[in-house]
Amino acid sequence: MSTLFDLPFEEPEPEEPTPPPAPARRVLTVSELTGALRELLETTFSEVWVEGELSNAKVWTTGHLYFTLKDGNAQLKGVMFRSALRYLKFKPEDGLHVVVRGRLSVYDPKGEYQIVAEHLEPHGFGPLQLAFEQLKKKLAAEGLFEAERKRPLPSLPRRIGVVTSIDGAALRDIIRVLRRRYPNAHVVIAPCRVQGDNAAGEIVRALRQIARIDGVEVVIVARGGGSLEDLWAFNEEKVARAIAASPVPVISGVGHETDFTIADFVADVRAATPSAAAELVVRRKDEFCSNIDRLGDRLDAAIQGRIRKLESRLNALAARPGYAGFRGRVAMRGRHVAELTASLRHAMTASLGRRARRHQVGVRALDQFDPRHRLAAIRMRLVEHDGALAKALTRRLHGADARFKGVAGRLESLSPLAVLGRGYAVAWDASRTRILRDAATLTSGEHVRVTLARGEIRCEVVSTSASADEDRSGQTESPGTE
Amino acid sequence: MPMDTTIKDFEAAIAELETIVKKLEEGDLPLEKSLELYERGVQLSRFCHARLEDAEKRIEVLNERGELKEAPSSLGLGGNEDR
Repeated sequence: MSTLFDLPFEEPEPEEPTPPPAPARRVLTVSELTGALRELLETTFSEVWVEGELSNAKVWTTGHLYFTLKDGNAQLKGVMFRSALRYLKFKPEDGLHVVVRGRLSVYDPKGEYQIVAEHLEPHGFGPLQLAFEQLKKKLAAEGLFEAERKRPLPSLPRRIGVVTSIDGAALRDIIRVLRRRYPNAHVVIAPCRVQGDNAAGEIVRALRQIARIDGVEVVIVARGGGSLEDLWAFNEEKVARAIAASPVPVISGVGHETDFTIADFVADVRAATPSAAAELVVRRKDEFCSNIDRLGDRLDAAIQGRIRKLESRLNALAARPGYAGFRGRVAMRGRHVAELTASLRHAMTASLGRRARRHQVGVRALDQFDPRHRLAAIRMRLVEHDGALAKALTRRLHGADARFKGVAGRLESLSPLAVLGRGYAVAWDASRTRILRDAATLTSGEHVRVTLARGEIRCEVVSTSASADEDRSGQTESPGTE
Repeated sequence: MPMDTTIKDFEAAIAELETIVKKLEEGDLPLEKSLELYERGVQLSRFCHARLEDAEKRIEVLNERGELKEAPSSLGLGGNEDR
């Protein structure tokens, strides 16, 4: 074996070398060659899958993504145009191990070939999964999932907002729960698509719209179960941000128990399903009801306990011996007041009479002093005088009345007649308007009355003496202010 | 957060009722004051009950222009239409 045979470009020589026709020399321009290469590459590699590590990935202002795909030994430049990039759920980050589908092309001005990517996916797991993890990480770093951001649900929302598809199973589930357990709930629905390209935008719009409705105090964002792709709108950043920005608490109820979406993390409360979201609202209401009932019961019990305690105290008091004389003492006090009133009134009329007389004297004097021509003037003054006098009188009366009331009040508080209970008595004149203090004011045969703790005796004076020396007068109370 | 004013009143009503009940349960108030508190408590509890009752049973739908319309009757009756 000759080594000749190993040379790749050698062909076994035929024994008779016929002189080849001299080839016409053909010279290509760079463009022609590049064109030919492009032709070759584009037809041969019109659809190719290639895997490698992303580096220098950058989205330019034009909206196209430029990147380099590499492995240990080689690298390949690539571009993904905006039109394709739109469908990319995750963010192409340097270092990601990806699989690219695309076609090869040549960039003439630079004499470079590159792959024009139509599709890009992470190697080893789904692109949606990756996108999910990426967004989750980002929003968590911003603090959007923090527990302190979570708001409590209202006890009794005036209106319950629901953001979901108008003809979806989720809405029906929610309404069914509310109908059954919260019959007078007021529900406002903001319909939106919950699946497909525009779903996220519609959810965002619906969230904004419903928060503006007066009385909406809680919002349920819901969607029935489905694949990760079906639920995707709830993993989009703008939906997450709209939920976070909601002025009222948001409950997410997306998919089934096992489905977790970004919306769930950012919502104030995550419910496992749409029905469960409605149940949460119901539960708050129920808690409120029982709370109110319990408080009402405690309120009644507290006041009734209070009244019972008072009752038993009252009964205990009534059972005590001192209470027996109580009514009598009250009556007595009333009488004493009557006496005071009478004497006060007497004094008052006397004073009024004096004034009236003085007034008349004055009038007479005026009459005498000026018989005729100033009569009108005199009359005027008279009238004025009259008025002033009347005013002065009423003032005085009022004053006296107030004073009297003060005295009476003080007397009451002193409880002077209580001493009757201890065996003392009060002696009055026959008309019961005057308390007797001096035996000398009485004569034999005169009638007097004596008030005891219970009852009264009418007596006739048999004899009087000035020096009984028993000093009973000290016991009678003192109408000293008269 | 902009919240509705009536709900503020109403959450406040519960809070106040709670303090009233506690005060009454401690029980060392003069009778007069107790009765006053009791009356207030009854008022508050009535207010809350009224709030429970007076929500209006309705289902409305927002249309594209942001207006509220009565929901189609099919919604309230638990239809089984699919998504």
